Amino acid sequence: MFANLLKTASAAAIATVATAHMSFAVDLEFYFPVAVGGAAADTIEQLTAEYSEANPDVNITAIYAGSYSDAGQKALTAARGGNPPQLSVLLSTQMFALIDEDVIVPFDDYLSDEEKADWIGGFYPSFMENSQTGGNTYGIPFQRSTPVLYWNKEAFKAAGLDPETAPANWDEMVEMGKALTLKDDSGNVTQWGVRIPSAGFPYWLFQGLSTPAGAILANSDGNKVNFNDPKVVEALEYLVALSKEHGVMQPGSIEWGPTPKAFFEGETAMMWTTTGNLTNVRNNAPFDFGVAMLPAKERRGAPTGGGNFYLFKDSTDEQKDAAVDFVQWITAPEQAATWSIATGYIAPRAEAWETEKMKAYTADFPPALVARDQLEFAVAELSTFENGKVTQAFNDALAAAIAGEMSAKEALDEAQAKAERILKPYQ
Amino acid sequence: MSYDRALNTTAAWMLAMFWLLPLAYAVWTAFHPAEFETRFEPFAPLTLQNFVQAWSEAPFARYFLNTMILVTGIVAAQFTLCTLAAFAFARFTFRGKGLMFALVLMQLLIMPDILIVENYRTMSQLGLIDTITAIGLPYVASAFGIFLLRQTFMTVPKELDDAARVEGCSYLGILWRVYIPLAKPTFLAYGLVSVSHHWNNFVWPLIVTNSVETRPLTVGLSIFAVTDSGIQWSVINAATLMTSGPLLIAFLLFQRQFVQSFMRAGIK
Repeated sequence: MFANLLKTASAAAIATVATAHMSFAVDLEFYFPVAVGGAAADTIEQLTAEYSEANPDVNITAIYAGSYSDAGQKALTAARGGNPPQLSVLLSTQMFALIDEDVIVPFDDYLSDEEKADWIGGFYPSFMENSQTGGNTYGIPFQRSTPVLYWNKEAFKAAGLDPETAPANWDEMVEMGKALTLKDDSGNVTQWGVRIPSAGFPYWLFQGLSTPAGAILANSDGNKVNFNDPKVVEALEYLVALSKEHGVMQPGSIEWGPTPKAFFEGETAMMWTTTGNLTNVRNNAPFDFGVAMLPAKERRGAPTGGGNFYLFKDSTDEQKDAAVDFVQWITAPEQAATWSIATGYIAPRAEAWETEKMKAYTADFPPALVARDQLEFAVAELSTFENGKVTQAFNDALAAAIAGEMSAKEALDEAQAKAERILKPYQ
Repeated sequence: MSYDRALNTTAAWMLAMFWLLPLAYAVWTAFHPAEFETRFEPFAPLTLQNFVQAWSEAPFARYFLNTMILVTGIVAAQFTLCTLAAFAFARFTFRGKGLMFALVLMQLLIMPDILIVENYRTMSQLGLIDTITAIGLPYVASAFGIFLLRQTFMTVPKELDDAARVEGCSYLGILWRVYIPLAKPTFLAYGLVSVSHHWNNFVWPLIVTNSVETRPLTVGLSIFAVTDSGIQWSVINAATLMTSGPLLIAFLLFQRQFVQSFMRAGIK
């Protein structure tokens, strides 16, 4: 009985090998998360289908994998379970974790020197900061964003400010914020000057303060952090002062989700949020609005955010070659432009902005250019080994300072100590 | 006395309203245009547009079918397996019974999330990745079900069992004619808990499935959790009502039976 079973099984195995040899098609699985509304998932599936049509020898399946954190879990589970996708778009900040788990390989081995120079070199350098480490390229930028400042031109006009000028630096943001903060007769605020969401993952927008202050939170090897740098303390003190001292921002922790709504409803005259919101604001703001780079202190600055392509280890060389070819195709100018226009993500290479499609789009809607122009000043999103724990320590410190439980200095000293303990094995 | 009662009634009403608020908000936003998400106007225009939009953003008809197949399959398999196991644990003596029952109980202490990677590996070896079977299989041998049914079977008077045996009934006949009819409330209560759990389960189905043909409703719903571009409560709530609707309606229809069976089965 058992012998029979074995025979059938081996026969089946031989049959599978034989069919695999007869057709030369390469099968690829590609996981993607969706964090913007509308037709993002449809766009990816369309692009994938287009590629399959042009390359009949590659059989590529795009698999929707939920939010960024769901996708990360799905990809890691599949990789640990011995059945990883060949490609996945995951958060750029997951790079160190994926290396640590030993489930991804760098793209470099599957590229010629020429491709390395032309192709890898063609991405905006600030996007590559989260994509390279130790001289290797592990991530290819795809759905990337950066935070910007949105302002309500009508509220500016009503407050006697120039509706065409956003605050250029920290002091101006406080001054303008004071003019924009309106109270009713009983002293309740009806319109705040500015809104910087801080609930959940405060570190990201906070990098829009710490970077202009002149601090870099983590090194590119992902094993050292500078959480209690005096410049970081200064940035956190400024954030806390916006509510406590200047009274231009709602006190306490501020949610992300309802932020665009609060902006549309006139509860705040300025908001900081990701460029991913551009299409949403464009469609739903009942007033004229402007988009500007985040205000400067010592310099201009902001983090980047979003997802990269990763190449998974456990696959054949043919699959990897095909996967790299697909990534090259989907980040090429025409495809990148289609993707960027559909979602609001920043096309990651300068060439995409030179296409006819993109030129027509930005001529019609110039705010789409602000985020791209800000890339010149942008830095890597906070990412280290043990990223979840390290970021959590930092988030806790920010939350404690925002809630007024600790001074900025105390909170950040504590976060630094915690992070150093966590990162010790990686130094 | 009447003062006490009035206080009780008020408290009950307040709790009920408190419980009802999120649902009321969901219904309000789902049937009104997006401008009224955070504004309450009694005569705001009603609309079904949110449902139309939600329905068009994911293949919900297919997802409904998948979820129905999934929950019926799981509950049928759990009933069969748990009944047989519980009967054995309740009425037979065999070597290693205590140890085996302890092993079953141990499963209650383990969070299913810990086993995700191991389960994935097993499904992968069985060649079941991306099938509805793979979503349900890890949950079929439910320790909770076995434990609950065993406790219920233990309360069945031995005399009924003996009488049936004297009449020449086989073991399976006794199980079918004596034990199962007496445990009906427990089956109903357990079935409801199981259905609602698997109706709502999200992470495991997302991980183990890859295609529209196998994914359940919850995965379809997740497409609206779009943190990067601002959340549209009206569309999300329309989709949520749509997907939880069948369960809500079933609960309202069978509410009395459910509550009674919960009381009798001792699940709180």
